[in-house]
Amino acid sequence: MVVLIPSPTTRQGPLLELDDLHLAFSGVRALKGVSLEVSPGSLHAVIGPNGAGKTSLFNCISGVYEPQRGTVRFLDQDLHAHRPHERSALGIARMFQNLAVFDQLTVLENLLLGRHHLYRTTFWQDALWLPRARQQEVAHRERVEDLIDFLHLERYRKLPAGMLPYGVLKRVELGRALCMEPQLLLLDEPAAGLNREETEDMARYMLDIRDEMGLSLLLIEHDLGLVMDLADRVSVLDFGEKIAEGPPADIRDDPSVRKAYLGTNELGQAKSPPEETADDKPDSGASERP
Amino acid sequence: MPTRALVTSYAQDLALFPDRWHRLGLVLFSALLLTLPWVADPRWLSVSNLALVAIVGSVALMILTGFAGQISMGHAAFLALGAYTTAVLGEQWALPFWLALPAGGAVAAAVGLAIGPFALRLRGLYLAIVTLGLVFLVNHMLLTFSDLTHGVSGIAVPMVTWFGAEASATDFRSATQWGGLRVVGDQKLYFLFLALATGAVWVGKNVQRSNTGRAMMAVRDQDLAASVLGVDPARTKVTAFGLSSFLAGIAGGMFALQQQYITIEPPFDLNMSIEYIAMIVLGGMGTVFGAVAGAVALVALSPLAEIVGRQLPLIERLSSAQQSTVLFSALVLAVLVFEPMGLLGLWLRIKRYFAAWPFRY
Repeated sequence: MVVLIPSPTTRQGPLLELDDLHLAFSGVRALKGVSLEVSPGSLHAVIGPNGAGKTSLFNCISGVYEPQRGTVRFLDQDLHAHRPHERSALGIARMFQNLAVFDQLTVLENLLLGRHHLYRTTFWQDALWLPRARQQEVAHRERVEDLIDFLHLERYRKLPAGMLPYGVLKRVELGRALCMEPQLLLLDEPAAGLNREETEDMARYMLDIRDEMGLSLLLIEHDLGLVMDLADRVSVLDFGEKIAEGPPADIRDDPSVRKAYLGTNELGQAKSPPEETADDKPDSGASERP
Repeated sequence: MPTRALVTSYAQDLALFPDRWHRLGLVLFSALLLTLPWVADPRWLSVSNLALVAIVGSVALMILTGFAGQISMGHAAFLALGAYTTAVLGEQWALPFWLALPAGGAVAAAVGLAIGPFALRLRGLYLAIVTLGLVFLVNHMLLTFSDLTHGVSGIAVPMVTWFGAEASATDFRSATQWGGLRVVGDQKLYFLFLALATGAVWVGKNVQRSNTGRAMMAVRDQDLAASVLGVDPARTKVTAFGLSSFLAGIAGGMFALQQQYITIEPPFDLNMSIEYIAMIVLGGMGTVFGAVAGAVALVALSPLAEIVGRQLPLIERLSSAQQSTVLFSALVLAVLVFEPMGLLGLWLRIKRYFAAWPFRY
């Protein structure tokens, strides 16, 4: 029996607010005034072509990059000057795009690392294995086992992560993020590189996380089918700017989104999706960007 | 074939000796260790003492390099600080050794904590160079304070057991009677060192299986991901430096007590740092077992090489020091080529063979 601890979603107002974020790397302007709000208990997707600034946005939220302008507010708290490890203690967890599991550690150790900031032991208690260290180790193990159960990782518990296939590692990484007891989960392309079945599992997990655990998810994903099916709200980035935001149905028909994804035709109008343009001339460069 | 006991609680899963086969092994191994000083001849007894010193030193380096991934060429400097603190406190102020030894650890730890912040900005080879500089710096300092350390001429290391002038006449290492049993100095040292080495191994193992050690390994493997997970890389690295240099200082003090008279260079030179790196690589990186196995193998190697070297054609013509160097290099090369996981890999292979017996796999 999986014990999922629901976090209170009674909160009014947004969980995460990004206001006018600007980020530039000596000339390359990755983000140009992006504002975004994630409301509690929602699955908010961020989509956009490659290089649109999606991962940069995540890096600003988790504190890997410091934006030159604009604010990141989480639970009404300005995160400026919070270092990455302090932000995770506040309740922001992240799953990386390129797997960042620790290859030489076992699945169990990887998951326990997610609970690092929840440990209430000092270095001395650990080094001398005082009762407190043992008691904490057991207590955190119990919570980790709940998530092992939730993500069906039982058989891999004691295996080094480096030995495991990609699809399992994605689950380990998701589990590690959940182990942090976050209120907001940042998922950077959780379904990239997964086969159909694994993608469906991942979608199921995301819905369970939102509905049963009551977490908010901010999702970057290229699989638009997945995004349109799951997300409560979608924001579209292109060249560092937010070009559209709304429920999936509106986004699907938004001309500027079509333009960003599919390019424009000779008249400068956004093209229709490929299935409707099957009779278009093949040399029109359907996926070319303006 | 013993089967693994069924683990029924998380506490049991964390235990170092979870079932009776492990505990039986522990009892047999302890019995072996406790009888060793009575059966070994004086030469092998002093080799055992040096091995116990090396175990403490290599566990220290394993915590810094094997767990936290900070490459240090400065291990000899921490041992030198521990050795000289122990020696000077004993020689100048006649402090008992059980105070001088932890003081040696504390001095080394203080320097380690001061060096730690360098590791926040430097990594890999750059950190290796900075720590390399530490060896020369410490040696130079020890030479400069010759009022205390007697500079190049070296210093005697008394081992008094209690405060006061008349007590300092009796050295811990002099032979005594223990309930009708005559024990010589090296045997007493052996039991003291065995306790210290067991303590160091236990601490190393505790770090490895606890939150502190996992944070170190996370920083070692991917420090960016570690910090997003809530691990403070700065704190973790400095902790590793502090603990590692404390244990290295203790090892240095033990070495001084064993040698009874020490000079600065040799032994506390670059060679010693590299030897310790060789120990943890030979033993297998990232585990306490590797540190212990590497230390024992490396210390036992040169007396073994002297025995074996005499029997081998061509090699017998070399001097005994050359024999052990040649055989040692050959062994390290062979281990790295055939078993890159070191003695740990060898051990795992043997264990797997017997676990699967009578089948091949």
